[in-house]
Amino acid sequence: MNRLSQLNRKKVLDFLFDHVVEVILIILILVMGNISSTFNTTANWLNIFRNMSMKGLIAFGMTMVIISGQIDLSIGSTVALSGVIVARACRDLPGALGIPVSLACVLGMAIAFMIAILMGTIHGYAQHKFRMPAFIVTLASQNLLYGLAGILSDGFPIANTFPDWFSRIGVGKIGGANGLPIPALILFIFFLIMLFIIKFTTTGRAMYAIGGNPESARLSGINVLKTKIFAFSAVQVMSVLAGFINSAQVLSGSYSFGRGWETDVITAVVIGGTSMAGGIGTMWGTMVGIVFLGVIINGMTILNVSVYAQYVVRAIFMSIAVLVATYRAKKKA
Amino acid sequence: MFPYMRNEGRVYLSVLKSVNLTKDYPGTRALDDVTVSFGSGKVNALLGKNGSGKSTLVKCFAGAIQPTSGTMYLDDERVSFSSPAEANHKGIAVVYQEMSLVPSLTVTENIFLGRMPKKAGRIVDWQAAHREAKALLTTMNADIDPRQIVSKLSMWQCQVVEITKAMSHNPRVLILDEPTSALASHEVNQMFEVLRALKKQDVIIIYISHKLHEIPEIADTVSVLRDGRLIGQEDIGDVTGADILGMMFGEMQHKTRPADIKPGDEAVLAVSGLTREGLFEDVSFELMQSEVLGIAGMLGSGRTELLKSIFGADPYDAGTIAVKGRPVKRKSSPILMKKMGLGLTPEDRKQEGLILIHSIRDNLCYASIDKARKGWLENKKQRAEIADKQVENLEIQVPDIKASVNSLSGGNQQKVVVGNWLNTEPAIMLFDEPTRGIDVAAKQQIFEIVWQQARRGVSTIFVSSELEELLETCHRILVMRQGRITGEVDPAATNVKELYAMCMGGEA
Repeated sequence: MNRLSQLNRKKVLDFLFDHVVEVILIILILVMGNISSTFNTTANWLNIFRNMSMKGLIAFGMTMVIISGQIDLSIGSTVALSGVIVARACRDLPGALGIPVSLACVLGMAIAFMIAILMGTIHGYAQHKFRMPAFIVTLASQNLLYGLAGILSDGFPIANTFPDWFSRIGVGKIGGANGLPIPALILFIFFLIMLFIIKFTTTGRAMYAIGGNPESARLSGINVLKTKIFAFSAVQVMSVLAGFINSAQVLSGSYSFGRGWETDVITAVVIGGTSMAGGIGTMWGTMVGIVFLGVIINGMTILNVSVYAQYVVRAIFMSIAVLVATYRAKKKA
Repeated sequence: MFPYMRNEGRVYLSVLKSVNLTKDYPGTRALDDVTVSFGSGKVNALLGKNGSGKSTLVKCFAGAIQPTSGTMYLDDERVSFSSPAEANHKGIAVVYQEMSLVPSLTVTENIFLGRMPKKAGRIVDWQAAHREAKALLTTMNADIDPRQIVSKLSMWQCQVVEITKAMSHNPRVLILDEPTSALASHEVNQMFEVLRALKKQDVIIIYISHKLHEIPEIADTVSVLRDGRLIGQEDIGDVTGADILGMMFGEMQHKTRPADIKPGDEAVLAVSGLTREGLFEDVSFELMQSEVLGIAGMLGSGRTELLKSIFGADPYDAGTIAVKGRPVKRKSSPILMKKMGLGLTPEDRKQEGLILIHSIRDNLCYASIDKARKGWLENKKQRAEIADKQVENLEIQVPDIKASVNSLSGGNQQKVVVGNWLNTEPAIMLFDEPTRGIDVAAKQQIFEIVWQQARRGVSTIFVSSELEELLETCHRILVMRQGRITGEVDPAATNVKELYAMCMGGEA
């Protein structure tokens, strides 16, 4: 009997250890709820999700890229460029082509998505065919897309050109003033879609394979190039979506949006337990990582902690998460 | 052993000796009561087929493993090593087949890695370093510029730098593990010049090689191990090549495959004039329905590269491949060859065959990822079924099919690699060294799998450097040497000694 309870205790400990990020998150939420009466309200939680929706969407795509053993540092510039393209399309196309603003807006969005898929394809090709490190290729793209956004916007924000329905993507709510923010809704929908892709499709399985051991995957007759292109395109498409939400919220497109977002996005993915070495990770973990980041930012803002101190706390949590994940991987091996 | 005289009139006394050395592994005795001694100033060849125990003996000397019982003496001093560092400290240096040089650094830096001569405290004294390196290389009879970057050196030069690095520690014992296996024939002579220069120093050289025809040219004594026992130690002048082969293989009868498996008349795979420059040349053969075709060749003979090119994993420069009469287009790939019914279990199962961090089930389903699906979706149920089927059919010992494949033994890992491919229902299976590093029982199971598949009409190419295995499993054996098919033998009409001699290019 005693032994059984010992066994159970070991099982419980193992479980807690495997879900250490979730455990810390729950403790954090309980503590915050005790300190602040406004923290655990529906309105505040919806606010957290609305704030994290953009980086969250990108993090879902980034999870696929990192599981595939790659990285994409260009996402911030994609956010900027996609906003600029739609803003410019809404400003110039109606006059130039004699079409309504709404159609111009849709055209702009379509162009932004096509560029995303093009960039994803280029990244996949460059990395796979020419063996260029993804780190360098996407760093180059970061500069390229940033520059293009600046050129397209002549260095100034393009403001107040969107049709009403487009700005609703950023600020709209479903179910009245206290309802669900549309960005949060988009986040949840794409969480399910991305979860489904990585968990239930053969492409998802192939991502784990090529990240786990690219040579074994290749010799197993898995289409490595196609899988890489899919992952690289997914993160770019997610970044374009995030760019739409971002521009819709501030009613303008600017080359300066999205600068440095890759740090938060990668932080969330890593806190969520995805291995930078590839082959290991889950969408659910990334969702936890996003909420984690959101809770820290929101909680500390409520507590009036300075932004800079927030970065220090973030660093500490990220280190703990990686330390635990590495230790766990070592123990399992 | 007697102290004996050599040139320069000096008396050499250095002797490395093992007495009643035994090493047991679970289920096998790798070394059985080995008493042998090696003297300095000569090249002592240590021979034996794979699994004879020679690498176990060397590992004991090098401190990599500890003997179960028995003792070792270096110059009548009893020694025992708990780690390679300890053996190294006692003056035992091993130069392994795998290069340990840093390619981007100079010869000098590689020789003095981590202990570059310094002046004024922490500043590297490059002048002195290059000078000392040059001096060392000169005593080795090797004309190599110490300022050269290692990546620009030829194979034999790298090997010499490796030996020089070992010699710079003034070792008393220098163990060379197949120093010529990666060298072209003209490089071997230059290598031997270096070894002859080494003999003038008071160092015990133990020389492991598979290239029998080189032995008379360079060795002074030969020691032969078989099945963990010392069969004999002779002066090189007292034995012939045939004697050595006899000592290595004994008078064993090889087993043969079950008689009911008969190759058909239809060629399922036809390779013609296949060439990949520098690796293999003008390779032509046909593989029949249900046939088990062996390719015998040593490491570096081009057999692995040949299989990879056939499988579309590597390119080739000339020649054609046809599967069941259909020509394979030049821009091939594993994806394409898988569709044409081929499967390959790679030589290096950990690096190329498996995804070690993933589960056993996942590893059994990667090659068949396109079979167990419903449209875009994975068919989880079918996946589980085909994984379970292989675990049962191949008798893979799994504690939990969701456990990582890394937790399995070598034999079971190999079966997972095989099962991964059998799930694609291949028509032609290419096995590259499927029995490397696995125990006897697992080997026999791998043979059974090959035969079982042959009965079902699957054609097999079986590559191995374990020649008895090929004689036991195959209908026909092609001999591959230095990138060429140099002969074809019928397993029923030959023996392992003849086959070995053919692979080595020496006389039987």
